[in-house]
Amino acid sequence: MDLWEAIRERRSVRTFLDRPVTRETIERLLEAAIWAPSGGNAQTWRFVVLTNPAEIRRIKIVSPGLLGDPAAVIAVCQDLVQARAKGGNLGETFLAPVDAAMATQNLLLAAYAEGLGTCTVASFHRRGVSRLLKLAEGIEPILLVSLGYPAQLPPAPARQREGVFVFGVSRGSS
Amino acid sequence: MELVVDQARLEQAVFELVGYMVTSGRNLIDETPLYGPFRLVDAVSRLILILEKEGVVSDRLRTMQERIDAGKYFVMSDVDEFESFLDSLVDTLVDHADFEERR
Repeated sequence: MDLWEAIRERRSVRTFLDRPVTRETIERLLEAAIWAPSGGNAQTWRFVVLTNPAEIRRIKIVSPGLLGDPAAVIAVCQDLVQARAKGGNLGETFLAPVDAAMATQNLLLAAYAEGLGTCTVASFHRRGVSRLLKLAEGIEPILLVSLGYPAQLPPAPARQREGVFVFGVSRGSS
Repeated sequence: MELVVDQARLEQAVFELVGYMVTSGRNLIDETPLYGPFRLVDAVSRLILILEKEGVVSDRLRTMQERIDAGKYFVMSDVDEFESFLDSLVDTLVDHADFEERR
């Protein structure tokens, strides 16, 4: 799989085929996720994988951004106690969510390479998801990723470039 | 026609819809304002599908549901198109608002 193709062709997929994703496939995606960089090499991310339809339906009750019926949902979490221990306040409040996002992007691109569709979801109730997933104290869900074989690929939204890139110091560039 | 409703299935489906709407209500305080109209019309689509599963079927409800699902994701890609889509949904409602005749 060409990296540029994966970067440009990946879409946020919200309609899925009724087809399971194997555990081995999901394990490859998780392996891709943990090869992401992390601040201070903290690697404090944690991943909870749901493939049981009843568990997915339950998590959807408190996750309005989880649309469609994905074959799997991956909760990308952070151990904030470990993040603080390793990176102090910056580690807990800034690096932890950034690291989770970088791991998630790896996962999305790996999923695309496997022919899978994904959607990253931040629209969920933190405490509700934590309770339903029975997360240990200090483990916080940062993002949810829905995963499955796509039934429909949405068109690519236009990319904004005007004023986005600045080379060198430029007054009034923001 | 007598409706045979599977009460347990209906209760479960409504509970899930309630979860979607209540959590949306909380989260929308902090989220993109445009998600508000999206969640409202998406909830309508979900409600119509629940009713349909229990045998409450009508052409106008199905039309609304199909039109919502066909256009709701404009919210992610084109705000102007999303606004036009919502206007057209209201037009569809007006086209089918033959309330008096149906009584």
